[in-house]
Amino acid sequence: MGRRRRRVDRGAAVGALPEAIAALSRTLPAGPSPEIFRRAKFDRPEAAPALWQLLFRVLSPLSANGASAPPAQGEPPSTEAQVRVVKSELHSQGYPRRALAQLPEDGSQGSRELLLALAWLLARGPLLERLLAQTRVRLGDEIPLCECEALASPGPPVPRVEADGPVDIRHLQWLMGKLRFQWRKLITSQQEQCALLGKIHSYTRGCHSDRSLGHLSVAETELLRDAEGGRQDTVLGTCPPEASQPTFVPRIPEKGAGEWELVARELQALQEELRGAAEPRRAAWEARVGGWGPEWSAVQRASREAVGLELAALQRAWERGGAAAQPHGPCRLVKSDAGASGGPGLRAAQVIEVLRSREACLEAVLCQLQRQCRQELARLAGALPGLIWILPPGR
Amino acid sequence: MLPADCSRRLVAELRDALDACAERQRQLERNLRVSRRLLRTWEPAETPAPQPTPAPETSGEAPSPESTPSPQDLKELELLTQALEKAVRVRKGISKTGERHKALSLKSGSAAISATTASAPSRASGQASCRVSETKPPRGIQQTVVPARGLPECRLLSVGDRTRMGRGSRATKPGPGPRDQQIPPSAALQAPEAFTLKEKGILLRLPMAYRKAASRNSRLWAQLSSTQTSDSVDAAATAKTQFLQKMQMTSGGPGSGLSAAAVEAEVGLLRTACSLLRRRMEEVLSADPADCMQEYRCLLTLEGLQAITEQCLHRLQELRAAVAGQQLGPWPVGRRPGASLPCGGGTDPIWSPQLLLYSSTQELQTLEALRLRVAMLDQQIHLEKVLMAELLPLVGTQGPHWLALCRAVHSLLCEGGERFLTVLRDEPAD
Repeated sequence: MGRRRRRVDRGAAVGALPEAIAALSRTLPAGPSPEIFRRAKFDRPEAAPALWQLLFRVLSPLSANGASAPPAQGEPPSTEAQVRVVKSELHSQGYPRRALAQLPEDGSQGSRELLLALAWLLARGPLLERLLAQTRVRLGDEIPLCECEALASPGPPVPRVEADGPVDIRHLQWLMGKLRFQWRKLITSQQEQCALLGKIHSYTRGCHSDRSLGHLSVAETELLRDAEGGRQDTVLGTCPPEASQPTFVPRIPEKGAGEWELVARELQALQEELRGAAEPRRAAWEARVGGWGPEWSAVQRASREAVGLELAALQRAWERGGAAAQPHGPCRLVKSDAGASGGPGLRAAQVIEVLRSREACLEAVLCQLQRQCRQELARLAGALPGLIWILPPGR
Repeated sequence: MLPADCSRRLVAELRDALDACAERQRQLERNLRVSRRLLRTWEPAETPAPQPTPAPETSGEAPSPESTPSPQDLKELELLTQALEKAVRVRKGISKTGERHKALSLKSGSAAISATTASAPSRASGQASCRVSETKPPRGIQQTVVPARGLPECRLLSVGDRTRMGRGSRATKPGPGPRDQQIPPSAALQAPEAFTLKEKGILLRLPMAYRKAASRNSRLWAQLSSTQTSDSVDAAATAKTQFLQKMQMTSGGPGSGLSAAAVEAEVGLLRTACSLLRRRMEEVLSADPADCMQEYRCLLTLEGLQAITEQCLHRLQELRAAVAGQQLGPWPVGRRPGASLPCGGGTDPIWSPQLLLYSSTQELQTLEALRLRVAMLDQQIHLEKVLMAELLPLVGTQGPHWLALCRAVHSLLCEGGERFLTVLRDEPAD
C-alpha cells in the first residue's frame, strides 16, 4: 500500500513513510500504533480488531464533545455492531471492494483489507482535517453555516423501548403539536441568546489581542471569569461547543425506493403540465408572428438570451454549484461596526441572503408535498358520495 | 387505531424529531446559563451569595478565609500565567498584613500614579466605559475586595499602560494599584468593587500563555490551508487518483462509481428542482402579459422549463440504473449512521473557522432565526414524507372510523397539524 501511494519519488518516500505513519497514528482517534499498521500490511489477524475500531470511530458520527459517551449506552458498542456499522457506512459511501463485505463479523480477520479501506478514505477526501476540525477546542462563539458538520456528529441514536401496541392517530397529532411548541420555544431561547451574545461582545470590545477579532468570545470571557477558581483548565477543556447542535438525522426509511418513485411521478406530472401550457401558446404565437419582419428576429434573440440567463440562475439554485458557493463549516461570530467592507470574513447580510433562498427552496418543497397529499386525499374522498368537505380557511 | 407496526414507526420518527429538538434546547440553555452568568456581577465561585461588606468601612480587614484561593488553586493558576500567581500572592500578602501602601511600590505603581494623572486624556481616546473615580480619592488597596473578584482586575491594564501611551506595558503586569481608580463610586449599598462586564469588561485582558497558544494555533491552521495549494500537493493528488482508480478496477464488480449516499443526495436535489420549476411555472402562468414581448418571454420560459424538466427526468433514470446495479451483493443493509453530506464535500473547505461579521443584535437574531427555520423545514419535510408513506395507504383502505381518520390525516399531511377541515353529511332535503 505504501508503494502505491508514493509513485513520485521512491527514494525519498521510503524514508518519509515511517514518519508519516507515526504522525498518522498520533492524529487518528483511537490511533493504532505503527506496529499495527505494519502487521496489517501482512494481513496479520491480530491487527484486525484495532483497525475495525479505528474505522468505526472515524466513520460513525462522533458525539459533539468527542469524549462524552452516548447517554443511553453505558459501554461502546460490541465488535459485531462496530463491524456492521463500518461495512454499511463504507458501502453507502461507495467503497468498491466486495472483499470487505465478506469479512467475518467477529472482527478477527481482514487487517489488510481494512488498511486498504483506510487508505481509500484518506485518498477520497480530507479525512484528517475533518477529524481535527471536529475535535478542536472552540475558542470563539461559533455558528455552523451548513449542517454538514452537525450531520456528521450527532450522538448515536438512543435505543428506546417503544410501546408496541397500536396507537390512535390522536397520539400522533399530539406529538406533532408538542414538536411545534418545542420549535417555538427554541426560537425564543435563541433570540435571547443572541441578545446576550451581542451584549458580551459589545462590552468586551477592544480587549482581544487579535485586532481582527476585536472582542472576546463567551469562552474567553468565561476563561477570565473562572480563572480565580483555578478552573481555567476545565474551562478550556470543555469549551462549550456551540457549533455542535445536532441536526435531525433521519432514520433510514424502510421503503427506500419510495423516494425515487415520488420524485419521478412529480417530475412527470410537471412535464405534462408544462407541455400542456406551452404547446398551445407556441401554436398561437406562430400563427400571429408569421408575417413579421426581420427586425423582429433581433428582438427574439435578445429575449431568448434573457430567458436563458434566468433559467440558468434557476438551475443554479439546486445544483451543486449553488451549494459549493456557499461557505462551509462553522464560523466565528465577530461583532463589528458596519464599515470594514474589505477584509476577510463573511458578512452576516450575505449569509442571511443565502439562508433566505434556502428557506424559499424548502418551503417550495413542503408546499409541493402538501399539495400532493391534498390531491390524493381529495381523490380518495371523492369516492364516497354524499359528503361535503369544507376545507379550513386558507392562510 | 392505527396498525401496530405503522404506529411503532411513526411514533419512533416523531420521538426522534422531538429528541433532536430537545437536544438543541439543552445546548441552548447551557449556553444561556453561561452567558447570563457572565453578564451578572462576577462573584467568586466559592463565596456564598450574600455580598461582602462594603469597602469604606472595613478597609483594613482581611477578606474571609474561604474566599482566599487555596494554595492548590494557586498552583493551578500557575499553569496559565506566572504573573497571575504573583498577583494573588501579592494580594494575599497585602490582605494578610493589611499594609496597603505596599501595593504602591509594585512595578506598576508608577504606572498607577501616572495613570491617575494621565488617565483623563487617554480616556478621551475612546475607552469610554472605563470609569475612573477621579473625584473619589484613591483609597489605597480596598482590602475587602475579595481576591477572587479582584483577579480579573489584576490583569487589567490601567488605561495609561496601554500602548496608546507608547508604554508597551505587558498585560501580565499585576496592577493592584490601578484597581483603586477602576472602582467607581457605587450608588448602591452593595460592594462597590463588584465587577460587571458592562462597566469594566473593556478592561479585561487575556493571559499571555493563552494568547501565545492561540496565535500559534491560528498560524498552524493557516499553514495547513496554504499547503493545499502547493505543487507537491498536485503530485499527491495524482497519486491519490491513481490509487482510487486501481481500487475501483480490482473490485469485484463493475461499479458505477456512484455511492448510495451520492445517489440519494442527487435524488433530493432533483426533488428540490421539481419544486422550484413548478413554482416558476405557476408564476409564469399566473402573470398577465402586458404586451407581445412579455408573451413571448412567457412562452420561452415555459419551453425552457419543459426542457429542464426532461433533463431532470433523464438524470433520474440514470441514477436509478446506477443504484439498481449496486443493490446486489453481500453488503449488510444496516442503518446508516449519518445522512449524506448535502454540501457536496466542499470544493475548498476551510478548516479553521472563518469570521462572520455582524453589525447589530437584530442582524444576529435574524440570522439565527433563519437558521432555525431552515432546520425546522428540513425536519418537517422529512416527517411529511414519512407520514405520507405510512398514512396515505391507510386512508386508501376503508375501515371503521374512516371519516375521522381521513380528517385527521388531512390535517397532519396538508396543514401541518394546525388546521382541520369539516365534513358534513349531505342529506337530501325533502
